Amino acid sequence: MGRLIVRRLFYLVVTMLLASVALFLLFELSPEAVVVNELGPYSTQEQRQIWLEQNGFNRPPHERYLAWLSRFAVGDLGHSRLFNVPVAQILATRLGNTAILAAFFFAALIPLSLSLGALAGMKEGSWLDRVISFICVLTASVPPFASTVLLSAILVFSLALLPGTSSMMDGFSYRELIMPVAVLVLYDFGYVARMTRASMAEVMMTPYVRTALLKGLPYRRVILSHALRNALIAPFTVIMLHVNWLVSGVIVVEFFFAFKGFGSLVLEASLAKDLHLLEACTMTTVVIAVCTQLAADIGYMFLNPRIRFK
Amino acid sequence: MTDNHEHPYIPKLKQQLNDRKIDRRDFLRTATLLGMSATAAYAFAGKVAGGGMVAPAAAQAALPKGGTLRIGMRVHEIKEPQAVSWTEASNIIRPVAEYLSYTGHDNVTKPYLLEKWEASEDLKTWTLHLRKNVTWRNGKKFVADHAIWNIRRVLDPKTGSSVLGLMKGYMLTEFETGEKDDKGNPKKSTKLWDSRAIEKVDDNTFRLNCQTAQLAVPEHFFHYPFFMLDPEENGAFKPGFSGTGAFVLESHEVGRRAVFKARKDYWGTGPYLDSIEYIDLGNDNSAWIAALASKQIDGLYEVDINQIDAIKALPHVAIYPATTSQTGVARVRPDTKPFGDKRVRLAMRLATDAQAVVDTVFRGSATVGEHHHVAPIHPEYAKLPPMKRDVAKAKQLLADAGFPNGIDAEIGAKVQPAWEVAAVQVMVEQWKEAGIRVKINTMPAQNYWDNWTKMPFGFTSWAHRPLGVMTLGLAYRTGVPWNESGYSNKEFDELLSKAEGILDVDKRREVTKRLEEILQEDGTIVQPLWRVVNTAYDKKVLGFKMHPTQYIFPEQLAVKT
Repeated sequence: MGRLIVRRLFYLVVTMLLASVALFLLFELSPEAVVVNELGPYSTQEQRQIWLEQNGFNRPPHERYLAWLSRFAVGDLGHSRLFNVPVAQILATRLGNTAILAAFFFAALIPLSLSLGALAGMKEGSWLDRVISFICVLTASVPPFASTVLLSAILVFSLALLPGTSSMMDGFSYRELIMPVAVLVLYDFGYVARMTRASMAEVMMTPYVRTALLKGLPYRRVILSHALRNALIAPFTVIMLHVNWLVSGVIVVEFFFAFKGFGSLVLEASLAKDLHLLEACTMTTVVIAVCTQLAADIGYMFLNPRIRFK
Repeated sequence: MTDNHEHPYIPKLKQQLNDRKIDRRDFLRTATLLGMSATAAYAFAGKVAGGGMVAPAAAQAALPKGGTLRIGMRVHEIKEPQAVSWTEASNIIRPVAEYLSYTGHDNVTKPYLLEKWEASEDLKTWTLHLRKNVTWRNGKKFVADHAIWNIRRVLDPKTGSSVLGLMKGYMLTEFETGEKDDKGNPKKSTKLWDSRAIEKVDDNTFRLNCQTAQLAVPEHFFHYPFFMLDPEENGAFKPGFSGTGAFVLESHEVGRRAVFKARKDYWGTGPYLDSIEYIDLGNDNSAWIAALASKQIDGLYEVDINQIDAIKALPHVAIYPATTSQTGVARVRPDTKPFGDKRVRLAMRLATDAQAVVDTVFRGSATVGEHHHVAPIHPEYAKLPPMKRDVAKAKQLLADAGFPNGIDAEIGAKVQPAWEVAAVQVMVEQWKEAGIRVKINTMPAQNYWDNWTKMPFGFTSWAHRPLGVMTLGLAYRTGVPWNESGYSNKEFDELLSKAEGILDVDKRREVTKRLEEILQEDGTIVQPLWRVVNTAYDKKVLGFKMHPTQYIFPEQLAVKT
């Protein structure tokens, strides 16, 4: 397992390096964009030149990249041009906000999708299975950009039950979290429930469950202590990979509800061509992706004793 | 008015109003421009032309005090207040810092931090008198030295202010720095054209000595980054920064919000509110509407035309439209093929049905453009016979120019704001019928502005300006930096300089008429429309009027208690 972790960490560093170089090169394609963004379209050529010089953009690209990299390597993420604060500061705030959103999302998603999936998978083909599967397929097929509009049309505009945006201007508010969490859960629970259902159905067909039932064990006990644990292996992996999806997938939801999280940060940083901030966001995404994968692998190992990594 | 310094033209102006040769608005505009005090001008106009036009200060006396207002708007980073490039950013500075002049909602420019101004007859010398009761936040008086410091600052290329482009023609001259750029060409910079270009008279008076006649000096003072900042702080923008305005910046979090608290010792009328907040809700228009619907905010910076219906469905919200001289022009560069032939350019205009663009893109709520970039709300606007769509003639012109099978071209357009691409699409469909086959190349706004002046064919948006000659001078005079089409027409240049030196609106209109004709006949643009901008505020907000520039003046606002 130690070797597995070392190998993963090595890949992590390589991926980060490649991603940072790629991003840097993309920016080099249009060096003027940064200054136009800063001084506006009506600035004169001379004003732009002065600005580029003052802000150190006239040095050769490799020199700037290495300078950035050496600082980044020791934990100095640089300064955000867009927000005029240290990158670490804004990144921490925004990641924290998204973590709150994610916590509520998983707190709603896991019980909902696992129980629905298990219920549906217990008796494949029963009316309960049909109803749950129908709902799952239906909700999963409505993408977030559609369900945000639909939900706010009903809950905000028509019924005026909930606040329309979630920018938390007056401090943390549970009410403002309801809409974004609802949209995310609505889109996602169907998928996880279907995975759980398939896994559960498979387990229910195995000889040991049949044996347990034939032995006369109560149905309830067969499900809870025999079937469920094994059926959860597949959904567990899926849920771990959802952390990944969440980090980038929340952009639409955060954007729509003006939630000040990581997703909207990535969007704003790329629109404003804030290189330092965008590099840090990218690195964060890579770290999260690799770490969740690692966590999934290790967790998988515990859930399924047959698997051993060499 | 028995002022000894009265501009010699003012009596004539009064006579014209008496004879109803000009309307009240034209009278107010020109009279205040020439230094007649706003109160006097409004009073005179009211006496002659009948009531109805109350001086703005008097109309707002009855507003309730107290309360907080939240306005949804992007909260940008501001490093240099005099170099901000978006109106939104200037709205974040405006509660604290003010302008020398104020162009009202009625397009009339009045003195603001100035008490009055006088222009010499040749319009080259402008004597500017400051108000004597204006104080900075620390109680220090606002004096001529401060104003001069600010003007010098915006004209310094290092500041990066767009005022420079505006005043370059009459205040600055180019010189070679002695250094060479990468290609070996000598580097050029600008400096004041004369050491006495800005001249202090006394503590409350200073003078601009211009190298050419300039009519629009007061209008330029109202350009969005032309704030009067406190020299003591060297123009820094930070919470609590000094200004002459009615509010104090309490906090500024980029991408989140900016909070202002009312100042107790403000020199002018207002403020009525205790505090005002600008809330950033990101780039998504639907978030803004949702926040307004659920009363998280009380007003918006702007409402997109596509959202008007959603807003109308909200019973507690009112919509405020403003007719502007904001526009977009499809412009070509005559130094590229096939646009060098003026028949091709005319054909493009003839192939365009501007009304259809207005109807399709803005559902009729915009003003039809006439391809000459002078707006009907401009004082010197001259009505020309309508330019009707004539596909047959357009085809004929193309054939005459040597393109019997039509032409192929590619137009650059920004993806945002959405109406621009929509307008281009409608026009491209119209042009097709005349054999002008155009491919649309959409790009992010930044990429467009990267080479907006170099593109052979592009759709460029232009901001609101109170005078027609201002835009013409910026965009179509030979060799000026923003002449994006590289248009060069000697007759046009001469007439334009002439127009810029004429105070009499009627006489200026005669010259402008010819300028408009030249642009319709020979010009480089297809201009489908003038924009109407809309915004929405909660009905509890009082004193709000949509300004064509989209500036927000928080000291004029109040909330119903």
